[in-house]
Amino acid sequence: MIRAMIVINNQGKPRLSKFYNYTPVEQQQQLIRSIYSVLCLQPENVSNFIEGGSIWVRQKTYFSDSRLVYKLFATLYFVFVFDSSENELAMFDLIQVYVETLEKCFSNVCELDIVLNYSKIHTILDEMILGGQVVETNSEKVMQAVEEISKLEKVTAATKLISKSTSVLWG
Amino acid sequence: MALSGMRGLSVFISEIRNCQNKEQERLRVDKELGNIRNRFKNEKGLAPYEKKKYVWKMLYIFMLGYDVDFGHMEAVSLISAPKYPEKQVGYLVTSCLLNENHDFLRLAINTVRNDIIGRNETFQCLALTLVGNIGGREFAESLAPDVQKLLISSSCRPLVKKKAALCLLRLFRKNPDVVNVDGWSNRMAQLLDERNLGVLTSSMSLFVSLVSNNHEAYWSCLPKCVKVLERLARNQDVPQEYTYYGIPSPWLQVKTMRALQYFPTIEDPNTRRALFEVLQRVLMGTDVVKNVNKNNASHAVLFEALALVMHLDAEKEMMSQCVALLGKFIAVREPNIRYLGLENMTRMLMVTDVQEIIKRHQAQIITSLKDPDISIRRRALDLLYAMCDVSNAKDIVEELLQYLGTAEFTMREELALKAAILAEKFAPDLSWYMDVILQLIDKAGDFVSDDIWFRVVQFVTNNEDLQPYAALKAREYLDKPAIHETMMKVSAYLLGEYSHLLARRPGCSPKEIFGIIHEKLPTVSTPTVSILLSSYAKILMHSQPPDPELQNQIWAIFNKYETSIDAEIQQRAVEYFALSKKGAALIDILAEMPKFPERESSLIKRAGDTEADTAELSAIKSRAQQQASNALVVTDQQPANHPPQVTQLAMVKIPSINEENNHVDQEVTQTNGSMGEGEPQNGDILGDLLSPLAIEGPPGVSGTETLSEDGALALAPVGEQENAVKPIVDIAEIFHALCIKDSGVLYEDPYVQIGIKAEWRGHQGRLVLFLGNKTTSSLDSVQAVFLSPSHLKLELSSVPEVIPPRAQVQCPLEVVNLCPSRDVAVLDFSYKFGTNLVDNKLRLPAVLNKFFQPITLSAEEFFPQWRSLAAPPLKLQEVVRGVRPMSLGEMANLLNSLKLIVSPGLDPNANNLVASTTFYSESTRSMLCLVRIETDPADRTQLRMTVASGDPTLTFELKEFIKEQLISIPSASRPAVHQQPQPTTQPISLSDPGALLAGLL
Repeated sequence: MIRAMIVINNQGKPRLSKFYNYTPVEQQQQLIRSIYSVLCLQPENVSNFIEGGSIWVRQKTYFSDSRLVYKLFATLYFVFVFDSSENELAMFDLIQVYVETLEKCFSNVCELDIVLNYSKIHTILDEMILGGQVVETNSEKVMQAVEEISKLEKVTAATKLISKSTSVLWG
Repeated sequence: MALSGMRGLSVFISEIRNCQNKEQERLRVDKELGNIRNRFKNEKGLAPYEKKKYVWKMLYIFMLGYDVDFGHMEAVSLISAPKYPEKQVGYLVTSCLLNENHDFLRLAINTVRNDIIGRNETFQCLALTLVGNIGGREFAESLAPDVQKLLISSSCRPLVKKKAALCLLRLFRKNPDVVNVDGWSNRMAQLLDERNLGVLTSSMSLFVSLVSNNHEAYWSCLPKCVKVLERLARNQDVPQEYTYYGIPSPWLQVKTMRALQYFPTIEDPNTRRALFEVLQRVLMGTDVVKNVNKNNASHAVLFEALALVMHLDAEKEMMSQCVALLGKFIAVREPNIRYLGLENMTRMLMVTDVQEIIKRHQAQIITSLKDPDISIRRRALDLLYAMCDVSNAKDIVEELLQYLGTAEFTMREELALKAAILAEKFAPDLSWYMDVILQLIDKAGDFVSDDIWFRVVQFVTNNEDLQPYAALKAREYLDKPAIHETMMKVSAYLLGEYSHLLARRPGCSPKEIFGIIHEKLPTVSTPTVSILLSSYAKILMHSQPPDPELQNQIWAIFNKYETSIDAEIQQRAVEYFALSKKGAALIDILAEMPKFPERESSLIKRAGDTEADTAELSAIKSRAQQQASNALVVTDQQPANHPPQVTQLAMVKIPSINEENNHVDQEVTQTNGSMGEGEPQNGDILGDLLSPLAIEGPPGVSGTETLSEDGALALAPVGEQENAVKPIVDIAEIFHALCIKDSGVLYEDPYVQIGIKAEWRGHQGRLVLFLGNKTTSSLDSVQAVFLSPSHLKLELSSVPEVIPPRAQVQCPLEVVNLCPSRDVAVLDFSYKFGTNLVDNKLRLPAVLNKFFQPITLSAEEFFPQWRSLAAPPLKLQEVVRGVRPMSLGEMANLLNSLKLIVSPGLDPNANNLVASTTFYSESTRSMLCLVRIETDPADRTQLRMTVASGDPTLTFELKEFIKEQLISIPSASRPAVHQQPQPTTQPISLSDPGALLAGLL
């Protein structure tokens, strides 16, 4: 399963983090910091995989049975942490899908879009990954769902309950 | 645009972004949290929109790393909101903030269930997402049947269905005993017939989870999986949107192949043939293309296909095809493919007999050992280790030895272990094995665990042919000017046992052998001294006819050590002395060691234990050791009630510096867990003979890295305040750390390292300063003077004026605490290097809390004392402001680390801490101290502190002391990441990310 999805900027500031096993906030921060400190030392032109064993928190490796895959887009690192039941390159592709979806959503997506649309990028992630498993890999479908949610929000501003007919659009 | 239309949230995020530093950010966050808390308190006036906005802010604050310990109820309550936007945020935030056992979740179960079984698909999706993300037991108990129903319902739409599948998967994974999947094979078969690829991907994930749990029940689904693969491989009926860069859903292909790997084999010939056709198509049809994304996707499928082929144990022909492909991969430019290529080759070696074909790629694999990417180097090492056999052992071990010189510290121990194992397993002749191990110890002694040299001794003992050669080699290494302590141990042992076999060679008479060993005695640590004494006894026994001069020399040494403080050394000295007086009878008692019973090598056993991922495990170990043994400080082998009294200036040898590079050997890895409990291992046999044998931790020494500075600081004027020689450690930080720890490095610069080790008993302390000269020339005019405050009596034994090259001098220091005071003693340490006078004033970590003895009090003991110390000056109270905000737990840890032991539950108010300790000084004797801290949960920066003791000065000093600790940032309460990296003794080498990391933090 996917254990976590993290977006960190190149200054080490987290922009999005979601852990699929409950992790206390303090530990999340330590992990993010530790991951960042490994990421920012990665030389160019090396593989996008990092052994989970190199992520240290309190003298312990936290992800020793896992691997990390990361991709740097402009100022942002997109990181997935996953265990051995996932295919490495498929996870790598998933980053691409996520970013392509963001791209469709914001056209020319930049860090600021992600910062200021915090709630939206969460929604997109939830449409792609559920409980650590890939739920949708098709960025069109993800976009559809997200747009529906936006519409719904607008509609419900006026009406009280959602009618069955709106959700038909989801298919 | 509600999703992005929360102005308040955007404004807040912008403000956070504009904060110049962490402190400002914290203030802004605290302000916002206070605001949210207030708003939630008067919930009545809160519109749902506002509530939503605040909950989003909470999530953002949570992501920034601040604990949000309130408002959970509000988040959960939003789940029940009738309107979509509120409900959505309620679900989303709840899944981020709460863990599966949180009480509030119980409150939401009914709403969640109603949403799941309700008719509103949007709500169904939200509820399924929450349950899938959290997956708690209570959810499983009350919701799993509903989710299952939803999944097989024919009226359920794809969007809901795929979420239901994953939701069920999560519930099943976390609570397999609660979720009933009996009879699900038929349903699963139906689900695998699904045409919608989105639903099929989720169903396949669910299937993988069910099959991995019990494949027997799902044989009937196997052909369906093959059908799915066929459909995708032929690109039949795959909608455009499910092709990713032209490849039909790579995720589904990968998942399906993964599922097939959970079946032990495929027996049905038709299914097998169909599957192999698909696999063949994947293996043959994957080309390297320009588009990176397409390449990745197609290789994802390809690597999974390779794994499946290996699993199915295909025909030899297909296997060699796979190896050929992998051989191509490990040479490509794309590092990801190289990495996976090496990994899959290793995997392939484990399942099938393809060693010979893989050997053809040996040269390329060895090149990968020099890859700039550490992940790839690790894989290459694993692969070389796996592919090694008699035919290529010499080459591979040679490469590993060479690599050892430049490898990262984190990899060295593993490298050393693997080289040792390969040398033992595949040695073409024994002398080669001997050569390899001695080279290993010579090059990377710090990383050679005890098992490795124990094993050498066993080997030599059991192989008579090897004995003269081993003795000769050991003799040769002793000629080197600086040798590693481990080398000293092996050499002394081997020469003690077998040097008589060399007797006729020049320079190998007993007297000469004794001389060359004894020369090193002043430089070795205590356990090694024991081994040397045994060697002397053996040499004495072997020198026939007896040489009276040698005898007298050795007797004199035994005599000297009869009064050794170390019990082991003392016992050996006394016994050997008595035995050696027995003359000829000595030969019976000290005869050669008998052969060891043949056993499995403990090394190989250990490697087996760690096979899962040796790199990680050894890394864990080395970090743990680094933490446990603080650089310079010699680990204490004695029971705690037997403090070492260093009565003479013992010189402790400093490990050899690796000449090939400027990296410096890391500190010694300590007895590498080989002496674990359980069945006896080979190591134990020797361990008994040579005990106590834990290798001590001599200092890591920085090598020539700073030599370039020499010129620059040549003529620093004497007495100039600002030293040209800068410490290479953060002295203030170290001091803070040492206030809590009892041993560690106190100071280090390019030439000198000062370690400290302390033992405290009541109002007295016994410290040892370890002055280490890191350079190859001696340090002159060494002076250590204490500027001691009036409350401490300090007695430092004489410090030698000269520290010889690469030597370490121990200076014992006695401390007596006369009366309570927060003042700190200062050590004025100066030395001359060349023409440079270096002068440093270092604070001595003999601070107030060192004279505490922890004590825990019950309520019956505490309160009478508390009441009896009723008023000032015995009991003082103060409101402290500007406290570094920390959680109550952190504060309790801080107090505990200062030996102010917190008694939880004594104070009925959970926001308060009560702590107690006993203080010792000559004037006060033992004195009970009581502390109470009342914190304000709304404002962590202030608190009220009450301190009581039977002595007014003590009360005042203690109050001030605690205040200082709370206001400053003592290192103990910092996040662990700060402390985690290597000890400061280690120079930062650019090739070691761990070390660089340490530097950064």
